[in-house]
Amino acid sequence: MSKLNASDIQGFVLRGYNLPLARYYFLHLAGAKQARELLERLHPLITTGQRWDSGKPDSTVNLAFTHQGLAAFELPQATLISFPVEFQQGMRGRAAILGDTKRNAPEHWDAFWHQETVHAWLGVNAQTSESLETCCDGVQTILTETGTHVLGSQDAAAAVVDGKPTTKEHFGYTDGFGNPDFLGVERSTQPGQGKRMPDGTWAPLATGELLLGYADEAGELPLAPVPHLLAANGTFMVYRKLHQNVATFREQLEKYAAQYGGGKEKLAAKFIGRWRDGTPLELSTDCPDPTIAQDPMQSTNFTYGDDPEGTQCPLGAHLRRVHPRDAFGFDGKLVHRRRITRRGLPYGRFASEDEAVSDLEDRGVIFMALNASLMRQFEFVQQQWIEYGNDAKQGNDKDMLMGNHDGCGRFVIQGDKTATNPPFVCSHLPNFVELRGGDYFFLPSLTALGMLARGLVDPR
Amino acid sequence: MPNQSGRLYGLTILSPIIDDDGAIPSHDLQIRKYLAALPTDERSPFARASGTHLARLVVMDDVIYVGAPSCEEHLKSKYLVFESNCDVDLDGYLAGLAKTIPKELDAIWCHCVGYPLAANVDAFVAYMKACQLETSFFFAAVNDKTVPQALRALMTHNAVAEFIASHQGVAPAELQGEFLALMAKLAAEPTPPAGSMGPHRLMKTGGHNE
Amino acid sequence: MSNINGKVYAMNVVTPMRPWKTFFLRAIFFLLWNVKPMQNDLIDLSFIEFARWVIVPRRKFPYLGKGQEKESLKYDYLLFFSNFNGTWNQYIDAFSAVLSKGLDLIWRWSDKYPGSVPVTPFKEYIARVQFDTDYYYTAYPHATANDLKSAHVVQDAVTALSARARECSPEEFGDAYLDFVLQVQTHLGETGEAPVAC
Repeated sequence: MSKLNASDIQGFVLRGYNLPLARYYFLHLAGAKQARELLERLHPLITTGQRWDSGKPDSTVNLAFTHQGLAAFELPQATLISFPVEFQQGMRGRAAILGDTKRNAPEHWDAFWHQETVHAWLGVNAQTSESLETCCDGVQTILTETGTHVLGSQDAAAAVVDGKPTTKEHFGYTDGFGNPDFLGVERSTQPGQGKRMPDGTWAPLATGELLLGYADEAGELPLAPVPHLLAANGTFMVYRKLHQNVATFREQLEKYAAQYGGGKEKLAAKFIGRWRDGTPLELSTDCPDPTIAQDPMQSTNFTYGDDPEGTQCPLGAHLRRVHPRDAFGFDGKLVHRRRITRRGLPYGRFASEDEAVSDLEDRGVIFMALNASLMRQFEFVQQQWIEYGNDAKQGNDKDMLMGNHDGCGRFVIQGDKTATNPPFVCSHLPNFVELRGGDYFFLPSLTALGMLARGLVDPR
Repeated sequence: MPNQSGRLYGLTILSPIIDDDGAIPSHDLQIRKYLAALPTDERSPFARASGTHLARLVVMDDVIYVGAPSCEEHLKSKYLVFESNCDVDLDGYLAGLAKTIPKELDAIWCHCVGYPLAANVDAFVAYMKACQLETSFFFAAVNDKTVPQALRALMTHNAVAEFIASHQGVAPAELQGEFLALMAKLAAEPTPPAGSMGPHRLMKTGGHNE
Repeated sequence: MSNINGKVYAMNVVTPMRPWKTFFLRAIFFLLWNVKPMQNDLIDLSFIEFARWVIVPRRKFPYLGKGQEKESLKYDYLLFFSNFNGTWNQYIDAFSAVLSKGLDLIWRWSDKYPGSVPVTPFKEYIARVQFDTDYYYTAYPHATANDLKSAHVVQDAVTALSARARECSPEEFGDAYLDFVLQVQTHLGETGEAPVAC
C-alpha cells in the first residue's frame, strides 16, 4: 500500500500522544457562517500526524464533529445522509443497542449533555499545566470571537503516583497496552498487536480498519460519506466518560479475596487478564513479572490456544473478551474486523491503595476509541463482547468491570485443582463503571476540515 | 436422508394459498394478519405441540427477481412455507399437531388450497405430506435431545450455576446435604413451559429490527 | 412479524437457479452430507443453530389441483432456512469471513449471486432475496446454541454427581464436587435475554 499522508491526517488518529494532560471542549456552533469562520481560524492549529523529529510539541489541538455539527455547516443533504446510520443517530440514540440503560442511561449523564446539542469536540493535549493553559487561552479567544458556545469541558490527566505521571487507571491497573498496528501507520510495532497470521506471526491490520478511504480487512473500502475527499483520511471517534466506583471496586475485591484461594492480586488479575502491573496471565500465571510487562516484545505477545478452558486467563476476562486473538479459531478472522484504537486519559485525582475513597468522588477514565465503522467495530465490541457473553461461550455474562450489571450477573473464574488457582464465581455484581456522557464524532482530515471551512462540499 | 439430522426431523412444507379475487382482503393477507397476532411465547400453539423445537411460517408471495440479465418470472400461486424442527417421526408429529392444536391449524391453513381441516387427522397428515418438500442438506448444532430434555437441562443449568455461586467455601458435609436437597427439588420441579424466556425473568421482547 | 424471538434470528432466503446448474448443486450437497469433515466449519461457527437447504425444481412446486394453477417456471429455486444467535450483520460478516468457499460452492449456481466476498455486495444480495418471517416460535428463546450445549454438559455432569452423592462420605463428596465444578466451569454463563437487535 502507498505511504499515508501524515500531514493530512489528524495526529490524534495516528498516535497516542503520551502527553500527560488534556482538556476536551464540547462546542455548540452558532451557525454556518460562524462555524466556517471558527474552522478557518482553528485550521492552522490542528496537530497533524507528521513526525515529531524535533521533539514533542508543548501542546496539541484536534477537532471532530457530531452529525448535527456537520449539519450546522449546512452541508448538502445528500452528503449528510451518506454518513452511516449509527453516526447520524449519535450515541444517545443507540443507548438501547449499547446497553446504556438504567444507571448508564442518558438521563444520568453530566448536565451539559442535556442542554444544547453538542456539535463538536475540541481536544487539547499538553506537556505541562502552563502549556495547557496557554494553548487553551488561544483556543478560548477564537471560540469567543466566533460566537462559539462552550457547552462543557472535561479535564483529564495521567494518574500521578508518587509525584510522577503513570499509565495507571484508578482501579490500579496499568492501562494503554494493546492498541492494534495498522498498515502504513508509522509506529514501532510489537508482536501481538496486529492480526495473527496462520503461521503464528503478527501482521498489521489493514489501514481501512482505522481510516476511511483505504481497504479494510475484507478488502473493501469502509462505508463512508460522499464526496470521497470529505471522508478520506478521516475516521470515527467514540467519546465516553466512564465514572469509576473505586470504593465499590475495592470493597468487592476485598470481599471476594477473602474467599478466593489465589489471593487478592491474582483475583484482580483474573478480572482483566493481566496482573495490575500489566503482566499477561497467559505469560505468568502465578505472579506479576516486570521483565515481561516492561518488554514490548513480550507484553502483548500471547495467545489463548493453549488455555481453552480458561484456567489461566478466564474465558470472560476483559482482555480475552475485547481482543480474543486466536480464541475463536478461523485464524482470527472473526476478530480482525472488530478491533478499535483506544485514546484517552483518566480524570480525577488518583487515590493510592491506603487512602480512603468514596464512589461519589469524581474519578474515572475518558474512553475514546477510533474506528472506521462505529457499528461494526466499537458497537459490536460493546454490545456483543462487553455487555453479552455468547461469543466467549459465557451466556449472558457481561464483562466483570465494564458491564452494566445493576446487581445481577456473574463472572466465572475457571481454575484447576491447585489451592492457589481454584474455580471461583463472583455474582450479584454492582456497576464498577458508570457512563456519564458521550457521543459519536467524525474526525476529518485536514483537507476535509478545509472543505468544511470554505463551504466546498459539493452536492452529489 | 437429509430430512433427518440425528433425532431432529427437518420439515419443510409449501402449501399453495387460495387465489380468489373475491376474497377481501386476499387469503395471504388474512394469513399474515392472523399470524401477526398469534403469541410466539409459551402461549404459542406450537408450545403445546409436542416435539416442536422450532416452527416458523412465512408467506412466500412470489419468487424474487434478482435483476437483469436474469429472467423475470412470477409464481402463479402464493405459498405458505411451514418450517419445523421436531424430534418425533413425521407421521406422528403431524398427527400430534392435528390433535393438539386443530383450531389454530385450521385458522391458518383454511386459506390454503385443498386443506381438509385438522379434525380429519388422516386427511390432514396426507395433505401436509403432499405439500412437503425433501430437504437437500440439513445441519443442526444440537440434534440428539428432545424438547423436554432441552428445557429440563436449561432449568438444571440455571439452578446449578446459582448453587455453585452461592456455595463457595461451604464445608463438605453441609455441601453434600444442600446438593442432595437441590437435586430433590429439581426432580420434583415440573418441566418448564416450552417457548418461555426461562426462569426468573419477566417476558420481554428480545428486540426487533429497527 | 419478526425474524427475532429471544436470542434467535430466523433467516429465510430464496434464490433462482438455472435448472441445468441444479445438478451440480445436488452433487455438492451429496458430498457435504457424506463427507462429514466438510461440515466442520459450520460446527465451529458456534452461533449457528441449524441450517437447511431445500432445492425446489421448477416443476415440483406442490400442486394440489382444486383450482390451483400449475406453475410454469424457467428457474429451479433454492430455499435456505437458518437460525442463528446474534445480529444479522454478524452472521453475514462471519459467513463472508470464514465460510466463503463453502457458501460460494452452494450459491454460485444461483442467478446473479455476487460471491460472498467482498461482503457488501453479498449483504445486498442476501437482503434482496431474504423473506421475512411471519411467525416464529422456538421452544427455548432464552438460550443460544452455546447455552443449550452448556446446559446439556451441566445436566450430564450433575446427574452423574447426583448418583454418587447419596452413597459417598462428605469428604469423598467434597472431592467429587470439585471435580464436578471443574468439569462444568466453562459452561456456567447465564441464559436470558439477547442484546437489542441492530
